[in-house]
Amino acid sequence: MRSIRARWAEPHKWLSLTREMLAARPWAWSFLAVAAVWLAIGLISGRGLPGTLESALDLAPFLVLVGLGQMFVITAGNGNIDLSVASLMTLAAYVSAGVMNAGHGSFVLGLLAGLACGVLVAAVNLTGILFLSIPPIVATLATGLIAQSAGLRYSSAYAALPDPRMANFAGGQIGGISVPALLCVGLAAIAVLVLRSTSYGRWLQAVGQNQRAAELSGINVALVLVVSYLASGMLAALAGMLLGAYVTPSLDLGNPYLIDSIAAVVIGGTLIAGGRPFAAGVWGGALFLILLVTLLNVMHINVAVQDMVKGVLIICVLALAGGGAGRSG
Amino acid sequence: MEATRARVWDRTGLDGRQALADSLPFAALLGMFAWCVILQPQALSIYGVSLLFSSSIPLVLATISQMFIITLGDIDLGTGYAVGLANVISARYLASSPLIAIGLFAATILGYMIAGALVELRRIPSIIVTLGTSFIWLGAALLILDIPGGTSPDWLAGIFNWAPSMIPVPFLYAAVIAAVASVILFRTTLGTVLRGAGSNPQAVARAGWSLLRIRMLAYGLAGLFGILAGLALTGITTSGDANASANYTLLAIASVILGGGDFAGGKAAPIGGVVGALAISLVGSLLALLNVSSDFQSAVQGIILIVVLAGRSLTRRFEA
Repeated sequence: MRSIRARWAEPHKWLSLTREMLAARPWAWSFLAVAAVWLAIGLISGRGLPGTLESALDLAPFLVLVGLGQMFVITAGNGNIDLSVASLMTLAAYVSAGVMNAGHGSFVLGLLAGLACGVLVAAVNLTGILFLSIPPIVATLATGLIAQSAGLRYSSAYAALPDPRMANFAGGQIGGISVPALLCVGLAAIAVLVLRSTSYGRWLQAVGQNQRAAELSGINVALVLVVSYLASGMLAALAGMLLGAYVTPSLDLGNPYLIDSIAAVVIGGTLIAGGRPFAAGVWGGALFLILLVTLLNVMHINVAVQDMVKGVLIICVLALAGGGAGRSG
Repeated sequence: MEATRARVWDRTGLDGRQALADSLPFAALLGMFAWCVILQPQALSIYGVSLLFSSSIPLVLATISQMFIITLGDIDLGTGYAVGLANVISARYLASSPLIAIGLFAATILGYMIAGALVELRRIPSIIVTLGTSFIWLGAALLILDIPGGTSPDWLAGIFNWAPSMIPVPFLYAAVIAAVASVILFRTTLGTVLRGAGSNPQAVARAGWSLLRIRMLAYGLAGLFGILAGLALTGITTSGDANASANYTLLAIASVILGGGDFAGGKAAPIGGVVGALAISLVGSLLALLNVSSDFQSAVQGIILIVVLAGRSLTRRFEA
């Protein structure tokens, strides 16, 4: 095996070398796609490239937060997926806005109340999955329905206005970069560390690769699932609270984030079948999806067609990048 | 081991617990209907029953659509928007230019078959592919009809407004649908192979069947029944709305599972699924009769889903 540097000296091998490097780094696809879409936006709209990226960075954190949680759950494999995130985001947005009461209530209590929604939803999910042996897809869908009713109830009881302190944070900037974006870069870095260097991270990947083998080697599978769903619930709740303050809480606030969070995770190179997470890839997937919408907007494409293009692209990207490795089902 | 034993029991029909599971959707339907009658005695008449179940047929058809895919061990997260697409296609074109409507229906079925082929060929999980197709259905539906509107052809509205004094029409239609689905699943080669592919794809492939063809046909049938559900919705509401049936995805999954279907695949229960769909469609009426805010409708549906699945997995645990 010759060194990579030696092989770079032969230009005719660049293509195969690039392919090899990409195969080893599935998350790189998403960043390549981001770059392509980013350049296309610049070419088509004539807008400055930094400006495009800056506005994408304002929106990406909400998706990255949900996506990171979704990544932990998906990595546990065996059909684990969190479909309750959308309703949870809406619920957490309303509850935290209600408790904060547009600046008149306690900020800390509001934050805790929102996170408590996340913990509660995760607890219901886990009860269904661990104690009642309900398939995760149904357990989390059902929990999502319950959270949806709770959100509807809460929204008709309280007029939710975004809290100014939370809005300042969600819309704040440091050196031209949005504060939530910086927070999410930090969280993604922490997620990388957790996956690489903690027992939980290694157990999670082992469970995702082969649950039976993981069980036999003494790994506490239930504990791994508890941590993963709790992470997903709390991150989705945080995303909901921030988004609710950034825009205004509404009943369909979280809805687009269900499918997008799964898409961002999988486009980012995380294996949908579990066992192989890429925390940095979630950023790539999220930026790709957001820039894609920007691109379709600058091309003046009808919202309905945007949905169709997005559906086709999600399927195509996954057929090209994620195919072959996972199991169907 | 346990799975094999349970499956043998399924076939011989000797297992008491299986009988219990089979009667679950009937018990749910009867229980909820009885509750409705207690709250509103007038419900106990041909007219009352017809009214109570008047809007259940689209869900019954969507349930059969979902059943073909769940029987394979897959899942379709696009059912609701596929029904919505068929709803707007029929409301916009079926009365004025039926050829366009038929062409679009054919394209939808083709889309379903391509999705099935992708699941089989590229080994992408069905949940991802159908999340993608759900976007396509919704986008196409909004493109055809961006705000609710359109109309129903008279013949279609006639089918669903038919109210003879002697027969509860929704039950008649539900029985016909259950019979057709049962024939497809249990009396045709395709049905047998489809169920086989759900429980043991390797065995079916080794016996010389093309899994690709089976999956494409099953997805095509799912698309066909989704379209029928959309037509029924148009006949009942006499208008089209891309978003009106969005929650059918979950309700159809719930009905299939309530009826005795299994996510593991291989197990189809068309009669149970139809009865389960009738029961689930009563939730709204029951809450209205109870004067409970419709806010709670989705929570009740979620809780029913959890209770049914919990009950099923607990009986299975005792069996072991």
